[in-house]
Amino acid sequence: MALVQPLASGNGMTNGSTSNCSGVPGKAAGAALGCDAAAAAQQLSSDTQQAADHKSAAAAGEEAEEAPVEEEVDITINNVVCSFSVRCHLDLRYIAMNGDNVEYRRENGMVTMKLRKPYTTASMWSSGKITCTGLTSEPAAKVAARRVARYLQKRLNYQTRFCNFRVVNVLGTCTMPFAIKIADFSQKYPRLACYEPELHPGVTFRIKEFKATLKVFSTGSITVTAPSVAAVQRAIEHIFPLVNEFRKERTAADLAAVAASRARRYGSRDSSESDLDDDDSDID
Amino acid sequence: MASSSGRKVQQIGCPAHPEAHLIEDYRAGDQICSVCGLVVGDRVIDVGSEWRTFSSDKNAADPSRVGGAENKLLGSSDLSTMIGDARGAASFTADGQSKYQNRRQMSSSDRALTNAFREIALMADRISLPRTIVDRSNNLFKQVHDGRNLKGRSNDAIASACLYISCRQEGVPRTFKEICAVSKISKKEIGRCFKLILKALDTTVDMITTGDFMSRFCANLRLPNYVQRAATYIARRAAKELDIVPGRSPISVAAAAIYMASQASEDKKTQKEIGDIAGVADVTIRQSYKLMLPRAAELFPPDFNFHTPIEDLPEL
Repeated sequence: MALVQPLASGNGMTNGSTSNCSGVPGKAAGAALGCDAAAAAQQLSSDTQQAADHKSAAAAGEEAEEAPVEEEVDITINNVVCSFSVRCHLDLRYIAMNGDNVEYRRENGMVTMKLRKPYTTASMWSSGKITCTGLTSEPAAKVAARRVARYLQKRLNYQTRFCNFRVVNVLGTCTMPFAIKIADFSQKYPRLACYEPELHPGVTFRIKEFKATLKVFSTGSITVTAPSVAAVQRAIEHIFPLVNEFRKERTAADLAAVAASRARRYGSRDSSESDLDDDDSDID
Repeated sequence: MASSSGRKVQQIGCPAHPEAHLIEDYRAGDQICSVCGLVVGDRVIDVGSEWRTFSSDKNAADPSRVGGAENKLLGSSDLSTMIGDARGAASFTADGQSKYQNRRQMSSSDRALTNAFREIALMADRISLPRTIVDRSNNLFKQVHDGRNLKGRSNDAIASACLYISCRQEGVPRTFKEICAVSKISKKEIGRCFKLILKALDTTVDMITTGDFMSRFCANLRLPNYVQRAATYIARRAAKELDIVPGRSPISVAAAAIYMASQASEDKKTQKEIGDIAGVADVTIRQSYKLMLPRAAELFPPDFNFHTPIEDLPEL
């Protein structure tokens, strides 16, 4: 599906892919970040195992949101935090002694278990509440949670019941293809935006209806913390026109700096940084 | 009126003119016959003030007052008398213990307020802030205290944040680091309280600009006036008009501008000296300076007297 077709609706932004790449460097698929959207879409579909259905749903959503301007902005989900309960009391000492890949910190009163497959860290309390962090998508969170509960059931013989699963927090990042004049931006929205250069180099913008907190930086990077992936997407769409007003085109030196930092971060990635087509999707 | 008992009888009157109207002189305590001026009544109780006060005597205690002026910020309910510390021989019993051990307590909210006001005054005194800022700070603290949203936070932290906000509101902002230097609260905590207070009082503050700090930093570095003016111009050009330094804190830009201006003049300051005064790391000054140096020609004011020309400005 070619996401670059201009359609009638809305705001100048397409979510090229709510991709699930992220904290794992050197991942071959390097999902969702091609300058060529069609290729990206293909990569996506042949991509990571878990989120196939999720991605197609997202892609379907994306088509509806394309804009007259041919710009794509990718949102990368970096961290999904979920919490659930197994409804039984856990003996932390027993788990610490007999479990694999666990760590027991007595001063915090919790056991941390690290999973490899959806790469995640699960913190367990003796009340039976468990929090999983470090995931990259909502379905992966569900899988990881179930895996943890299953582990407790099978290996450690607990009578677990999987309940109260909810995604608590999702962290997403995206980069605008332009730099932003944050001083003027923060002055225009004094109630919603908080900019204290001494405390933090970015503007903290809170959107009440999505319960999202966005941090907007002068380089054009935006990080969003929201209760769900859909909320992250809507928050970025909401803020794009606001930020677009204060855009500042990047100079050659800035672009070089951005490309250099990307090359450092995604060492195995290809030459997508060297693209400077008109379709300048500055994606990661 | 020194009228003795009885209704109509025995009103004091002038013996020569019994029907004459008596004028009262409160100041002297007299009643005087209006016709002949004879003083007929005396030792009338004087209702005037016991002491004279002159307007020049501002610092001297006002002897007409009983007790100190009422502080509007503290609760106006408290008009009680407090028993002070024991002094002199008479206040101790035979055992050597002080009589009157129980000092009457203030209400606890008043005590917290009094402590906080004292803390604010102490902090302000260390950096020589004027009375207006201290008063504004006290008002803010009282508002925050009454609102009770920040109840869990340490009072000292709230006091420091109130001081910071009042400096900002008066148009003479102090950096967080400067407030940290006179307070025992960490910068992080002051920053948190600052944001919470703004939210609780539903106010906003203006953004800091580079020019706010120029006079203080340059004075501390003892730079001549023309260097200060040049630095102010440079910083304003770099940050506002040309926007060469996106994302850099105005303090860092100001420090780099001072460095550039002083290096181009006779009195050259090192990055370390400027960093010490401004509370900025010298690598930070270096980074901002590197961004500003390529366009140095546009940054300097047109009438600047270059002791060291632009080409010879240090690269670092």
